[in-house]
Amino acid sequence: MQLLMNGLIAGSLAALIAGGLALVYGVLGVFNLALGQMVLVGGYATWWFHVPLGLPLSASIVLGLLMGAALSWASFELFVNPFYKHHRFLPLVTTIALSMILDAAILLLWSERPRSIPTTGGGMISIVGMQATFTQLTLIMCTLLLLCGFACLFHSTPFGRKLRAVVQNPLAAMSLGVPAPLLHRIVFIMSGVFAAAGGIFLGIDQTLSTTIAFPLTIKAYAAIIAGGKGNIWGAVLCAYLIAILEQLLVGVHWFGTFYVSAGYQSTVALLFIIVFLLWKPQGLFATSQRLA
Amino acid sequence: MQFFWHIVAMICMSIPNILGFNLIFGKGKIFHFGPIGVSTVATYGVFVPLMHGFSYPSAIAIGFVLTMIISLLFAWLALRLEPDAFGVMAIAIHLSLLAVVINWISLTRGTRGLPDIPRFFFLQTTQSFALFTFIIALLWILFLFVLHRGSFGRSLDALAEQLWYAGSLGIDRRWVTVIAFLIGGLGALITNVIYCQYVFLVHPSDLNFPVFIFFVMVVVAGKPGSVPGVLCSLILLTLLREGMRFLPIPSEFIGSLRLLLFGLILFVAVWVRRDTLFPKARSV
Repeated sequence: MQLLMNGLIAGSLAALIAGGLALVYGVLGVFNLALGQMVLVGGYATWWFHVPLGLPLSASIVLGLLMGAALSWASFELFVNPFYKHHRFLPLVTTIALSMILDAAILLLWSERPRSIPTTGGGMISIVGMQATFTQLTLIMCTLLLLCGFACLFHSTPFGRKLRAVVQNPLAAMSLGVPAPLLHRIVFIMSGVFAAAGGIFLGIDQTLSTTIAFPLTIKAYAAIIAGGKGNIWGAVLCAYLIAILEQLLVGVHWFGTFYVSAGYQSTVALLFIIVFLLWKPQGLFATSQRLA
Repeated sequence: MQFFWHIVAMICMSIPNILGFNLIFGKGKIFHFGPIGVSTVATYGVFVPLMHGFSYPSAIAIGFVLTMIISLLFAWLALRLEPDAFGVMAIAIHLSLLAVVINWISLTRGTRGLPDIPRFFFLQTTQSFALFTFIIALLWILFLFVLHRGSFGRSLDALAEQLWYAGSLGIDRRWVTVIAFLIGGLGALITNVIYCQYVFLVHPSDLNFPVFIFFVMVVVAGKPGSVPGVLCSLILLTLLREGMRFLPIPSEFIGSLRLLLFGLILFVAVWVRRDTLFPKARSV
């Protein structure tokens, strides 16, 4: 049961990142390989506002999210928008360049030392044999609230309807008066906010370090590939699934004889990518494009 | 003078691997994001048997067979998957191989790497390395130059531009792709056998993802598919990478500044080549 709780905590972080990424892939069809660095910028910025500058945690979180939004907007204008209309694979290379620039910026601004965002919530809480800190439960609840809020926006508002129209067919949506280019920007900014929220989650629950950026990106991609490219809820579900399997892999005493080395934990996401791309490239919850 | 020979050796020993990658990614426009995965198999395929008592010729033969097998696997995946899916798959395979190398400590010594790699008897000084790698590089450049200008190069060009039309003209996609990947694998084997002897060490940090980013940067900056262009960019970027350590900057900032500079170079290179990197198919 404790492994399940650990999986829920890790899965909530992955779900935040993968959800935003799946939306971007669904709308623009581009891969963003700088996603892990965007996560870190959100976390580091919040740490910087909270610890060295001494701002309250809530204000620091808001500023961290704004920083994530601003960064993703700038990234879209500079590294994605000028390229993806030439060829949809070009952002794959430009976002590699962006990841290098952001890595360098993080190292120059905040140094290589791991950082964590201190919180006041402390004590352990036990629920049906599973133990978690109050902070971890708050983070899980916040993630679920954020995802539910997004679900309401996406499925129950006129804005969400326009967004879904652009996901399904941008040209048809534009012919009906939906401002697709504006929605592309909004979607990219939303994914940046989700990534920054993931970074804040990571900074509070664990530690921020530049070495984790690329594994975060890979885990998010594993989730969107397994969930069906562009299917947000499939990606969210698969993010939880991958996180729980990662915990089970290294936490279970297999056949009562051996434990798998913790070093292999990250290979669960990689195996998801390999297995799904080979045997079910459309993912578990693929949605077909509507045609006239 | 020692630094000059070191630079010559570094550039020349990189040439087989990078030109092999240029053949696949630059000329063939195949999203091969796993050249370092091939290098990982080539490196450990040679040096694990060597450190476990095999002679150099038999260790190289084992490494050669394993490298060809992993190259064939990548070729098969490139033929089977969509381009972007193959790119992600190649990264996943590379990282999985790296995870195995790092965690199979009894065989590979994990993150400690394999030290005290013996050198060939004729490669004992930096100067001898420079001269030997120069000859190897020259032969490799000639081989690839002939390949690029010949019918194989034209077939690869045609497939990169328009798969179906090339197929209708009788070009065998499977054959061309497999050959390209095998040549890329051979280049990786040559480079890594020489490099590990040069530094006396096999280490997983020489085989991680940032190394691949350097490869992409060299190919994109030099003009994808062009042998002279990629050679020029390799020389300039290696000089920049190695020369930065002499700048009057505190050593803790050198790595970050190098990363920043290389990121900007890659971005500018893609910006300049945004119409030619993945050109649209010509139509009548």
